[in-house]
Amino acid sequence: MDLVLQLLFTGIGIGAVYALVALGFVLIFRATNVVNFAQGEFSMVAAYLMVVFSVDLGWPYWLSFLIALAGMALFGVIFNLGVYYPLRHRTYLPVIIATIGASILLSNSVLAIYGPQPQVLQGWFDTPGIQLGPVYLDSQYLLIIGVTILLVLFNFWFFEKTLLGKKLQATSQDKEMASLLGISVSTMIMITFIYSAVLGGLAGILVAPVLFVSIQMGSTIALKAFAATIIGGFGDVAGAIVGGLALGVIETFGAAYISVPYKDGFAFLVLIAFLVFRPQGIFGERVAEKA
Amino acid sequence: MKLTRREFSAGLAAGLAAPALMRSAWAQGATIKIGMCVPVTGPAAEQGLWAQNGAKLALAAVNKAGGVLGKQVELVIEDDQTTNPGIVLAFSKLAAQSDIVAFLGSIRSTQVQAMAPDVIKVGKPVMIGGTNPDLTHSGNPWLFRFRPNDNYSGRVIADFGVNTLGKKKWAIVHSTDAFGTAGGKALTEALTKLGAPPVLDQGYANQSQDFTPVVLAVKQSGADVLGTYFTFENDLGIFARQLRQLGVNIPWVGSPSVVAVSSTKLAGPALFGTYGVADFAEDSSDTAKAFGKSYRDAYKTAPDNQSAWPYDAITILSAAINKAGSTDPTKIRDAILATQKFAGAEGEYNFDKNGDGLHGYNVVKNDKGKIVYDKHIDFND
Amino acid sequence: MSASDNMIPAPAVRSKPLIIRHLPYFIGAAALVALAAGMQFDGYILNILLQATTFSIAVFGLSVVLGLCGQINLAQAAFFGFGAYAVGLGTADLHLNFWLCLVGACAITLVAGAFLGMSTLRLGGHYLAMVTISFQQIVTLVMINAIGVTHGPDGVANIRRPELFQSSQSYLAFCVAMLAIVGYLVWHLPDTKLGRAMRAVRDNELAAGVNGIDVFRTKVYAFAVCAVLGGLAGGLFAGGFAYVSPDQFSFAESIQFLTMSLLGGVASPIGSAIGTGLLILIPEWLRFLKSVPGLYLAIYGLSVILIIRFMPDGIWGFVSDAFTRWRARTNAPPVAGALLLKPATTGGDIVLEVTGLSKHFGGLKAVDGVDIAVKRGSVHALIGPNGSGKTTTLNVLSGLYKATAGKIVLDGTDITSMAPHQRTAAGLGRTFQNIRLFRSMTALENVEIGAERPGNTMIGKGDDALTERAMEALTFVGLGNRANELISSFSYGHQRLIEIARALASNPTLLLLDEPAAGLNSTEKLELHELLKRIAAQGLTILIIDHDMTLVSEAAQHITVLNFGRRIADGESMAVLRHPDVVSAYLGSE
Repeated sequence: MDLVLQLLFTGIGIGAVYALVALGFVLIFRATNVVNFAQGEFSMVAAYLMVVFSVDLGWPYWLSFLIALAGMALFGVIFNLGVYYPLRHRTYLPVIIATIGASILLSNSVLAIYGPQPQVLQGWFDTPGIQLGPVYLDSQYLLIIGVTILLVLFNFWFFEKTLLGKKLQATSQDKEMASLLGISVSTMIMITFIYSAVLGGLAGILVAPVLFVSIQMGSTIALKAFAATIIGGFGDVAGAIVGGLALGVIETFGAAYISVPYKDGFAFLVLIAFLVFRPQGIFGERVAEKA
Repeated sequence: MKLTRREFSAGLAAGLAAPALMRSAWAQGATIKIGMCVPVTGPAAEQGLWAQNGAKLALAAVNKAGGVLGKQVELVIEDDQTTNPGIVLAFSKLAAQSDIVAFLGSIRSTQVQAMAPDVIKVGKPVMIGGTNPDLTHSGNPWLFRFRPNDNYSGRVIADFGVNTLGKKKWAIVHSTDAFGTAGGKALTEALTKLGAPPVLDQGYANQSQDFTPVVLAVKQSGADVLGTYFTFENDLGIFARQLRQLGVNIPWVGSPSVVAVSSTKLAGPALFGTYGVADFAEDSSDTAKAFGKSYRDAYKTAPDNQSAWPYDAITILSAAINKAGSTDPTKIRDAILATQKFAGAEGEYNFDKNGDGLHGYNVVKNDKGKIVYDKHIDFND
Repeated sequence: MSASDNMIPAPAVRSKPLIIRHLPYFIGAAALVALAAGMQFDGYILNILLQATTFSIAVFGLSVVLGLCGQINLAQAAFFGFGAYAVGLGTADLHLNFWLCLVGACAITLVAGAFLGMSTLRLGGHYLAMVTISFQQIVTLVMINAIGVTHGPDGVANIRRPELFQSSQSYLAFCVAMLAIVGYLVWHLPDTKLGRAMRAVRDNELAAGVNGIDVFRTKVYAFAVCAVLGGLAGGLFAGGFAYVSPDQFSFAESIQFLTMSLLGGVASPIGSAIGTGLLILIPEWLRFLKSVPGLYLAIYGLSVILIIRFMPDGIWGFVSDAFTRWRARTNAPPVAGALLLKPATTGGDIVLEVTGLSKHFGGLKAVDGVDIAVKRGSVHALIGPNGSGKTTTLNVLSGLYKATAGKIVLDGTDITSMAPHQRTAAGLGRTFQNIRLFRSMTALENVEIGAERPGNTMIGKGDDALTERAMEALTFVGLGNRANELISSFSYGHQRLIEIARALASNPTLLLLDEPAAGLNSTEKLELHELLKRIAAQGLTILIIDHDMTLVSEAAQHITVLNFGRRIADGESMAVLRHPDVVSAYLGSE
């Protein structure tokens, strides 16, 4: 039982990381109908920004954090203008490939600037964790889980209760209709990219103290986050969260009870199973029917 | 359409030929050239940089002492991209330059395996750092190893843990890549020979984000000592932290990565008190100390095995060419194999007929973040 | 429809026998093979050429699945790896004959590709991208961890070559020969029936479906062909380099294959070869940038973005596009005879009988219990105000929507639960309100797709029958002289006519026209009216949906009126138009 609880905590912790990144995917997908293959690099870039400000320049943690997130907002603007916007009238395929190109560009630019050494980033708290009965709770994972819960609430409030959120919703559901209603579609898409970059950055900064800051830190997480979005039902915000958590738990238990080396395989097996048997995901009700 | 296709092919051929022609034009230098395949890009770019540092340090020393056969020695570096196809291309590119007399290959065993067919074809000596025992035991006469192979690391870990620490219930954790698998196997064999077969043999895939299941498996196995083969330092760092968090504090004797500079930096206190086998330990000999000093002077950081073996390789290779008095590959080969009791940064080189120069490891300890030399264990077979 | 039959090329316009016209290609290919065999290369050049040759074959696969069929495959390196391991393990461990292993490699990848395709191609788009990535990851994991079979990360060494091609030079020549053969087949694939179907699916899945193409099966074929080419290439690669290991077949390699294909131009094997060559050579040439780690891969990533942005069809696409436009202008199409329409007459007097047809979207009853009976040889109109359910009805009839309830009988055959392409095979032809032509093709090729309808009895024997039929249909609508122009060069009205010609070429039993007059000017409307008369004169039954009352009242003998998804009137034209419910539905009753 102790074992199960410990695994459950870890699974939820790592799942929350997937969920955070998955959220960024889903938002961009809903707004643009495009999967952003550079989403993982958003996290990586933010973690490196954190290293620059907090470690190299020695600025206070909270200040570095705010600056890094602001940097990510700017980064979202550049990414949209450089990668998505010029291709917005083309099919999804060129855009996917452009984001793959962006992913290669980003990771190797950071490599060129910062060198290949992994970096250490301190966690938010000084205490590494707490022992709760038989279970050890890593403080950084606790923070990640907490932030995920807050973000779920925030997203609900933002998209359901605010005008901007509703405009974003409208844009993602029907661009033509939204523009007829006087909503500037390109502004909404810009906002989506900014929000998504900040979210991805947040995930990167939160996870960096656990996984260290390295060039590859984003790409592995991003693949799992993809899988999470599909398991949750593509384009569904709640689905991304649940999918991420489910994946983290499945993976951790699969590793513990079936096979550690094939740990990464579980995610993809679950994914394929979902695609074949329930392509609409856990929450998806809308079956793609079009004419 | 067809015409264009033909033209395209002709253009392709011309494009390919041009660099080759240019190369042969400036090839007639008055230097002795040594080729080096090293990761400049890809996951091991970091280690690649250190390897270059080590090689260049040795090169400078050799050239200062008068060079080789009266000429200055020049290093020609090619990026192997940390991949197998990458090193095949890098090596064949170097091999195409006929004035290169010998090569430094990779520290990664699979890369050495990938380039091995071309090495036989070229027929010139290649210094390697890959530690898979098979590399020098499969009939390729041109590979010379400047690090002890994994049989020795397994035997040293087992010997140290069983005989020095007196522990017999072993848990083994290893990466499922080539290095980790071979190492795990060697350790298991050595332990079984010493009458202490491991109670747990757990593999993991590289670049895992979480090691909780592995740590819990170690915990549950009831082992009183841990032996590890980790490939990447960030994996090791995550594992070490989680190991301590979940309350596993048994003695830990690992492969060189446990005591590598970057692991020490990443994992911090989680690695305090661990033992690692190290082909390079700065305090193990006077030569190693001297190397450490000049490395620090040149690069302002501490050296490790990634830089030590290329240093030794260049030093011994240069000495061997001088002794052979010629750049004839067979004569160089004989001279390298004749190298005995040569004090290098990594240890005392006694080349055997397979081309293995070293036959033992240092055991070092992480003493509150400082890597201190503990003892050296050598084998005669 | 079987894949192998379709590999025989059947280009549209021919003057000389195939073998003579393609002779320059084979001479060129033979010269290349001789060059590869005879020229002295050093090891580095040899390795580069061998890599470029084998990679090109794998990239050809992508030009089929992505370029021709418009489906993404992010697992080509996995198929490449299947082939490599089949040859590697087969020759090194099992000591089997190289040729046997190579055939085995193709067979394994064929099965794997078809299986993967069948499990996911119904989903398409992003899902396909995800599934192929997952497949790729799992394959890599298995290669690394199934040590007993694959030797794990150590890889497979001592892979053998065939006795005949022991030297590297001769093996290279053999690979170049394979490249030339595969290149020839892939080059001509677009002109075969299967190739046209793939292009149709890529350009417009819906239109492809209603023109008698089994969209799903076409995608699976494309995917399987792609996988086989990957496997073949992998097998050749393994023989060439004598050593394979899992990291050579990783996700990153799949991305590289994709980039190669895009850079050169995804639509053609020549583009694939150019892209592959460049992407192998460029990083080699850029090695001088190596002093800064990551710099050249960063440039590589940037180039991918720039290529997609500024050269969407790749290098070759850029060149050949200009060439195609030039050829289309200069090539005069052949003269065609008169179009004959012979609608099948197996059923009774009623060609289309719809009873109790309903289509509900959630709570919305878009169509609710509608009955329609279309008499043989008549022109029947279906009208109603906006949102009355006309187009939904048409979409249910042509199979784009599944009926919630009701029954559809076409010429005695119950087609209610058939897929769109099956209905087309059963004799249904249709046009779309918003034109759905295959935009990358010429007018003639578009109509040829229609003519290829399974069960079209009006296609004669011989290579040229299809082209003749398509030319007849185009001439019938008055566009025969512009047959070889690309769709984009036609006016809106003419595109509509091409769509009708496409349906007519298939010799349907019933022709569904969805608002054919929408967007036409008055002259074009007159022409359309004349055309409908000429079609009706040949005895083809037409079901027309339109707003244009003049057209409907003049052309149709019988009218069915829908409002709010229900039938509110049905009968002879003049009587129906005077019906008070119809008047109030159109003029508003509040």
